[in-house]
Amino acid sequence: MKKEKKNEEYEFCAVCKLNHNQGRRHNYFPNHVKSRSAFLTRFQSKLADVRFFLKNPSLLRPEHASRNRLWCVFCGSDIDGLGSTFACGNAIAHLVSADHLKNLKDFLWKYGGGMDHVDSFRLSEVDLARWEKKCKLLKTDGASDRSRGVVIGPVNDIQLNSENIDTFIQSLNSSFSNGVVEPLQIYTNERYQVSHEIFRVQELGPLRQDADSYLHVGTQLDNNACSSNYFTGKILLWVEFLKAYTLSGYSEVPSLQVRVAASTLCSSDQPPGLWLHRLLMLSSNLVQVHRDERTANSECSSQGLQNLTQISSIVCGDAIGNVHSGAPPPWLDSSEGKQLDFKRSPFNKSRKCSKLNPKRVGAAWAERRKVELEMEKRGALAKNFDANWLPNFGRVWQSGSRKESMKEFEVETKKSSKVETQCEMPMQLQPYVSKKMVSFTFTFTALYALVVLSYALTFTALYALVIL
Amino acid sequence: MSYVLRTLRKKREVDSIIRDTIDTVLVLRFGRALDPICLQLDDILSKSEREVSKFATVALVDIDSEDVQVYVKYFDITLIPSTVFFFNAHHMKMDSGSADHTKWVGTFLRKQDFIDVLEAIYRGAMKGKLIVSCPLPPQRIPKYQLLYKDV
Repeated sequence: MKKEKKNEEYEFCAVCKLNHNQGRRHNYFPNHVKSRSAFLTRFQSKLADVRFFLKNPSLLRPEHASRNRLWCVFCGSDIDGLGSTFACGNAIAHLVSADHLKNLKDFLWKYGGGMDHVDSFRLSEVDLARWEKKCKLLKTDGASDRSRGVVIGPVNDIQLNSENIDTFIQSLNSSFSNGVVEPLQIYTNERYQVSHEIFRVQELGPLRQDADSYLHVGTQLDNNACSSNYFTGKILLWVEFLKAYTLSGYSEVPSLQVRVAASTLCSSDQPPGLWLHRLLMLSSNLVQVHRDERTANSECSSQGLQNLTQISSIVCGDAIGNVHSGAPPPWLDSSEGKQLDFKRSPFNKSRKCSKLNPKRVGAAWAERRKVELEMEKRGALAKNFDANWLPNFGRVWQSGSRKESMKEFEVETKKSSKVETQCEMPMQLQPYVSKKMVSFTFTFTALYALVVLSYALTFTALYALVIL
Repeated sequence: MSYVLRTLRKKREVDSIIRDTIDTVLVLRFGRALDPICLQLDDILSKSEREVSKFATVALVDIDSEDVQVYVKYFDITLIPSTVFFFNAHHMKMDSGSADHTKWVGTFLRKQDFIDVLEAIYRGAMKGKLIVSCPLPPQRIPKYQLLYKDV
C-alpha cells in the first residue's frame, strides 16, 4: 500500500524566497541546496569583515557608526553601531550571545545545511575575551600613538573584482610602508556618500601609470601631520576611480575628472587643501591631453554637471534628411534591393512551413472546410449544408461515443410526441428497472424457489417413508 | 455588452459560425441578455474578446428565440448562462470538478479566469484532446445543482 500523499500546508522558505508545500522534502531539492549555499556564503563574507575587526580592533568614530550595521539573517535583526566604542562591537557581542546561537541552530535545522556549521557563524567566548583585551590595550595606547602599522582594510571591502585591485593594494602598501596610516575605519561594504567630499569620476580615468603618479604626488605632500580622514579620503578617491575603470570594461583609457563638490576634507588640516589643489591641476592637464584625442566635431564639457558629449550637427547636412523628415535609413540606400529580397524569401518559406499540429482536434474537418471555403470563394461550389446538421457534441448523461449522442437526440426528437414506454425500455441504457419488473421477477423467482423446495421436501419424505 | 459581441438568434447562424471558425476556439454563450449573471458574464466576455481574438471567437446565443431551441435541447442547457466551447466544429469538454463537463455553467470571477480557461481549452485542442481539466482552483468555479431528468 502506497503512502497517501499528504497535502501539506504552504510554508515560506527564507532561503529560496518562495512558498512551497513540499514540507521537509524541500530542503533536499537541488535548487534549495544551491540557494542555501549562496545565502550562507554571502553571510559568511559579511562575517569575515566582523572577524577582521575581531582580530584588529579599532576605534569607532561616531560619524562612522551609521555605516557599521549588520543584518543577522538567523535572528532577523539589525545590529547597528550605536553606542559601541569599537568597530563592530555590537556585532561581535551579538554573535557571541546565546540568543543568536539558538536562532542559528533553529535556522540550520529548518533549512538543512548541517549542524556542524554552527561554529562558523558564531563567535566563541574565548574570541570575545581576546578581543576585549585588545580593545583595552588600544584604549590605553590610543591617546599616545596613533600609528599602528599598515592596515588598509579587508580586501573585499572594495567590491571590485579585478587583478588591478590587488596590484593597487600592493602599491598602496609599499608606498605607505612608512607606517603613517590609520586603518580604514569606514565600512566600504555599503554604498555611501562621503559627506566631506564627492569625487566624481567621469568618463574614463587615466592609465595605470598616471594613477601611480597621483599616488606619488600624494605621498610627497603628506610628510607632515596627516589625519586619518585625509587618507580615507584618498582611498575613497581610488575606490571611485577603480570602480569607473572596471565599469568601463577596461577597454578605454580613462581620463580622470575630479571635482570637489563640498568643502575640504578636514577643517583643521592644512595639507589636504593643497593636495586637492594639485590634484585638480593634474586632472585639468589630463583633460587637455585627452582633448586632442577627440574628433573635431565633438566638444567635451569639462565643467559643470553636464557630462554629455555634444556633437555639433552642422556638418551633417539637411540635404540627406533624417528620421523626422522620413528619409530612408543609410543602410538601405546602397543595397536596398538585395537586403529586402534576402529578407522576404526565407520569411515566406517559414510562414508556409509552420504547420498546425496535424493531431489537433478536428484537423481533418478543418482541412476539408478550408478547401470548401476556398472553392466557395471562387464561386465554384454553392453547397449549403443540411438544415438538420448538428455539431459533434458529447452529451451530459451519455455513455458511449459522440456519434451515439446525435442518434439519441434524433431518436428523442422523433419520439417526443409519441408515448412508447415499453419499446424504449430495452433501448435506453438505464440501470433503473421499473418496480413492476422488479416485483414480477421477485415473485417469479420466489415461486420457482418454493416449487423446488416443495419437490425436495416431498422426495425426502417419500425416501424416509420407504426406508422406515 | 451585447452590442459588442455578436448575438445569434437562428439555428442557421449558429451552424455557420460553428462551421466557419477554423483552428480557433469558439465560445458560445447561451443565455438571456437581461439576466444579471448573464450580464456579468457578457461583460467579461466583451472585455476579453479582443485579447483572445487571435485564438478564440466569442458569440452570444439568445435562448429565447425559437429557432435555437433545438440546440438548447441538444446541448442539454438547463441553467443559464451556459457556455459551450467548440474547436473545428468539435465540442470541447472541460472537467472543472462539477457534474457537467460539457459546458461551463455560470459566470467567471475575473477576466483572467476566463482567459485561463480558454487557454487550457486551446492547448488541449491543439494537442488533440477532446476533454481538458480546468486550471482554476475550486473556489473560483461556480457551483450548481444539476438535475437528472427532473429528479
